[in-house]
Amino acid sequence: MASVPSPTPGGYSVTPTEPAAQGGAVTAERPPLPVKLVIAGGFGVGKTTAVGSISEIEPLTTEAAITEVAAGVDDLSHTPTKTTTTVAMDFGCITIDPTLKLYLFGTPGQDRFGFMWDDLVEGAVGGLVIVDSRRLDDCYAAVDYFEHRGIPFAVALNAFDGTVEHSLDEVRWALDMADQVPVVVFDARERGSVRDALLTVLELALSRTEG
Amino acid sequence: MADGHAPAGAHGFTGPDGTPVGPAPAVRPFLVTAGRVAGTASGRPIPVETQMVATTAGIDALERLSFEQHDIVAACRRPQSLAEIAARLRLHLNVVRVLAEDLRADGQLSVHVPRTDIVRDASVLRRVIDGLRAIPDSRGVLRDSD
Repeated sequence: MASVPSPTPGGYSVTPTEPAAQGGAVTAERPPLPVKLVIAGGFGVGKTTAVGSISEIEPLTTEAAITEVAAGVDDLSHTPTKTTTTVAMDFGCITIDPTLKLYLFGTPGQDRFGFMWDDLVEGAVGGLVIVDSRRLDDCYAAVDYFEHRGIPFAVALNAFDGTVEHSLDEVRWALDMADQVPVVVFDARERGSVRDALLTVLELALSRTEG
Repeated sequence: MADGHAPAGAHGFTGPDGTPVGPAPAVRPFLVTAGRVAGTASGRPIPVETQMVATTAGIDALERLSFEQHDIVAACRRPQSLAEIAARLRLHLNVVRVLAEDLRADGQLSVHVPRTDIVRDASVLRRVIDGLRAIPDSRGVLRDSD
């Protein structure tokens, strides 16, 4: 295992306003170390439902900037045209303990476009791509993105009404995914099911650190 | 999302380059930042999960701060993530980034950017895993029991 990074208190690199002379922060406790997971998938696939099932707060919405690279099927020039747009981003959080907090950020993938969520994904420990097996196309961009960025991720088939239309092997084949990418079936409405899907991602991320 | 006021899913915002913008709420805040955007001159923008806490000086200065800066400091009496502030105050993320940098420079806000190497450290990941495993499912049954 790699050596533990130098033990900066709390795991922060930047505490530039450490106003000891002014009495410090108002709150007695240091902020928790935030650990971020990104939840991706097409519109209506269950991202917000999944976040809401396990978050300790009602999911909040803000806007994230994404860069769309219009190098899609109708771009013959092979010269990516980048445009920045904003998408709604739903998120929630889970307090692990007073010093550690898990944040879940859900954002839609964009059909037909390559895109970059660098604004959102920077520093994320992993990703969960939620898939509606009836609309596999919606998740290609997210799968490509995580693979390209080398971010540990798992694919979770949302079992609407308790069923999925395709087997895990069929989905894996359709998405042309590497064997090491976990594919699970889950129910975005069930907290335990969402928890287990998130654990799949985190355990994959952990195995990478120990690799 | 709760009350439909936030411009969720609104496309068409294009930033401060003069091209048409979509939702009106995205316009005025960039006037507050004097047209500045985050992450251009000073490297990468701070991550959305960055924690922010008001300092004593910030609380003391509340009355002198303008609306958005006032609201940010007031909302950060307890640690908040950048994303939470943007969502709760219905401000664009990059507006909060710019204003938070100003407030930090003035000593009114403590901005804690997480270190990626520590967040991804095995010991941290194990603690998150253990904490998640302790969460019961909707029926109050722990993992591995169903």
